[in-house]
Amino acid sequence: MAEIIKNEPIANGIYRMSVFGAPLGRAGQFFMLRVPGALDPLLGRPISICEIDADKGETTFVYQPIGRGTAQFAALLPGQQIEAQGPYGNGFPLKGGRTVLIGGGIGTAPMLQLAKELRKSDPARKIDVFLGFREEAYLEKEFESYADNVTRNIGGYVTNDVDFALDATYYACGPSVMLRAAAKAADEANASLFVSLEKHMACGVGACLGCTCQTEHGRKRVCKDGPVFDYREVRDAI
Amino acid sequence: MPSNPLKLTLCGISLQNPVIAASGTFGFGHEYAEILDVSRLGGISGKGLTLNGSAGNKGMRVYETPSGMLNSIGLENPGVRHFVTHEADYMRALGPAVIANLGGHCEEDYLEGAHLLNDADIDILELNISCPNVKAGGMAFGMLPETAADITQKVKAVSRHPVMVKLSPNAPDLVAVARACESAGADALSLVNTFLGMAIDVKQKCAVFENVYAGLSGPAILPIALRMVHQVAHAVTIPVVGMGGITSAEDALKFLMAGAVAVQVGTMTFADPKAMLRIIDGLSDYCAQEGLDNLQQIVGIL
Repeated sequence: MAEIIKNEPIANGIYRMSVFGAPLGRAGQFFMLRVPGALDPLLGRPISICEIDADKGETTFVYQPIGRGTAQFAALLPGQQIEAQGPYGNGFPLKGGRTVLIGGGIGTAPMLQLAKELRKSDPARKIDVFLGFREEAYLEKEFESYADNVTRNIGGYVTNDVDFALDATYYACGPSVMLRAAAKAADEANASLFVSLEKHMACGVGACLGCTCQTEHGRKRVCKDGPVFDYREVRDAI
Repeated sequence: MPSNPLKLTLCGISLQNPVIAASGTFGFGHEYAEILDVSRLGGISGKGLTLNGSAGNKGMRVYETPSGMLNSIGLENPGVRHFVTHEADYMRALGPAVIANLGGHCEEDYLEGAHLLNDADIDILELNISCPNVKAGGMAFGMLPETAADITQKVKAVSRHPVMVKLSPNAPDLVAVARACESAGADALSLVNTFLGMAIDVKQKCAVFENVYAGLSGPAILPIALRMVHQVAHAVTIPVVGMGGITSAEDALKFLMAGAVAVQVGTMTFADPKAMLRIIDGLSDYCAQEGLDNLQQIVGIL
């Protein structure tokens, strides 16, 4: 159980919630969030970690209230409790050297903690961030604390802004169409790319097999074996 | 030290309490063993097995519904041989009673699977004739008394383990199927598997699931499952294990009062991994409050 510290809109239809008391995870992991005791909707919602403040013991999530579950989250007030089961999933591998982060829409959220961890692991490295939004940007300022360059794209294809021919590790999270474009560009440039996938899941821990996908190395569970994969492994699942 | 009021015997097997993880919701125990003390459970029914394993269904596999969910996993599993060599001993070491759930596409699959399971150290074979998500076999065996009795009798003849037949609520006459399984030699019955349901994506104008229909579980089905357990428990003399939307100790008590000697919990574990531990604690508290020497005293009081 975690206590809600803050829960407010940061853009049209986008909320940011900070909670205290959830076990600390790392970039790319997620929690199953659930209104305590709720039977309708019943299941938790997989929401990725957007930022961790280890000193305060706070974890921040950015989410889009589009269904009944996330709409319930949006109505929660500071001081109220939320069930935060996790952290689950493997998280992003922190590679050395230059890094390029690509986030699309709500997929920008896990990139923030990634930028933070990459910066912490190497203060001198170059971190370029590309953010794509349909209508309105968010989290842009927060990225500026950790990134050398933040490029945003509203209404277009963010992957068009990215040079995939750099000697760098690329990370991407966003809608399928964006991940497919990133995978295609990575193929052409022979780039190293890690993608975070999203699928409907019931349990989040690898038991229900609701989110399994076909990979180069057999069937894998997005929740337990992912959600972060080397894009070459999950080409057919993107 | 006072004796454990939750203990019971099922098919000659001693269970420390009547709360069993339902097949298909607990893998073979690995995942939840990382999160909770699974040794406290009464039993674990492993993921449904088929003879040669299966990659499961394509497309959408889980879909939330009011107070429940539809699933169309399609028995994704590593096969009976893998279970016998890699999973059975692991499950045994966890502590709770080990139940292997066996599905099949045809009679030969069931019999060969049951034969292979004779080499595994399990407590009970749960004969799954009720999976609604596989095209061939599966639920078809559980729809009519004749086919259910036939496969039960043949598996009983092959298996050295007690056989608990898992029934489908989609059978036109569930009580007749239950009676037929009992006559055919079933040692116990478990019910209910999921209800056949459907979801439609109105925007895309198509069915959500590639198989069109899928299995409904969760609190939404509890009152119907409870009625079915009550009917079956009154119609047979072999033990009945009840399930269907159980989320709390109070829900578990309802199934026991309706005639089930034990319960299985499935979908609720997805929502709250520790739900079964809460239920076990709640049942202990109930025994203390009611002054029961053993919880089995309330089985079938209604």
